[in-house]
Amino acid sequence: MKEVPVKIEVENRWVVSKIGIGEDRIHLHEPVNLDIPLKSIVDIEEKKNTLHIEVKGTPPTGYRVASVPKVLAALKRVIIMSCTAYRLMAYFMSPAVRGGVLVKDAKWEKGAIAVLKTGIWFVSQQKQISIPLGDVSGIELTTREVNGKKTDVVKIDHVESGGVSTSYVLCPLTTLQILYNFLKDATKEMDMNGDELDPVAAQVSMLVYSGMDSSAIEKMLSISNGELESVFDTLLDLGIVEVVCTRREVQLTTKGVRFVTDAAKHPSN
Amino acid sequence: MGRILIVDDTMFMRTLVKNILFSGGHDIVGEAEDGVQAVEMYQKLKPDLVTMDVVMPRMNGIEALKSIRAGDPRARVIMCTAVGQEQMVKLAIKNGAKGYIVKPFQAPKVIEEVNNVLNP
Repeated sequence: MKEVPVKIEVENRWVVSKIGIGEDRIHLHEPVNLDIPLKSIVDIEEKKNTLHIEVKGTPPTGYRVASVPKVLAALKRVIIMSCTAYRLMAYFMSPAVRGGVLVKDAKWEKGAIAVLKTGIWFVSQQKQISIPLGDVSGIELTTREVNGKKTDVVKIDHVESGGVSTSYVLCPLTTLQILYNFLKDATKEMDMNGDELDPVAAQVSMLVYSGMDSSAIEKMLSISNGELESVFDTLLDLGIVEVVCTRREVQLTTKGVRFVTDAAKHPSN
Repeated sequence: MGRILIVDDTMFMRTLVKNILFSGGHDIVGEAEDGVQAVEMYQKLKPDLVTMDVVMPRMNGIEALKSIRAGDPRARVIMCTAVGQEQMVKLAIKNGAKGYIVKPFQAPKVIEEVNNVLNP
């Protein structure tokens, strides 16, 4: 069993320890001192340099470990390839598009796709990329040109650091269909009919997506602040947007007017 | 900072791209509604870069790209199209496009791509 240095969270404190990585199990050393068969792991989630490992049980037990990226990469690869998950061998390209701009050095990588409780993992020799299911903003069964031939692929859009990235998965059509159906089902809460928004609200959504602020949106669509507020209310009700800041509009008081008038008389102005 | 010509048949998209690029410190020297106008305006304005929609009336973006590049092989054109038309990428790149943006897009990435093309 290969031993790697980690920190393990025990009773809300991080404790320096080690993890043994074996073919079919991992071992958390003191103070946890526990053998975890890989098959009993039902989920892993990565946040910055920590990994949350969920082991089946009633209720499931969670362990949080932290370490340097190299150690976490080794740990993730072993867990993802052997834990209990819907897993398939496939080619993937991730990310292929970032914020609407094609990633120039994006290429197809041979590896595995694992769909766990909280996310999809793309694993190859070099990479382990996770897409939390809660961040999946679009799934589409589509075609893409691969080696000069139109090929069926699953396209997955997800939100990452406020931006949107697109990944592609390529494998036999029947498997793609299963993957597509699974992902559609897992993220069905985010589906919309497409007729909930009027054209102005749709344009406002597009502008918010592109990073425009309220002032720019009002100018671009020639709408008043009141009209925009009303559109925002609709989008908020539909769960399409969230409020990140409330901007204030002010007017000068008499004291303020006096200050500005006096300041304008100053020679430096 | 670059002098940019925006080509798109919808005013909404032209305004959006204009706002994004202006916030990135670029000058918008002109706007064209179709490929024919784009070619004419390119010859007249000689911009540093063109953002070119693909699907447009009269002359599409690929034809306009070919025509502009035929007149100026150093022309820098970034293609801009909707989701689902990504198969046009190869054709555009083959015809000399320097970059490709898929709608909907996000301002910081668009600015980054434009800056990369202007300052390779």
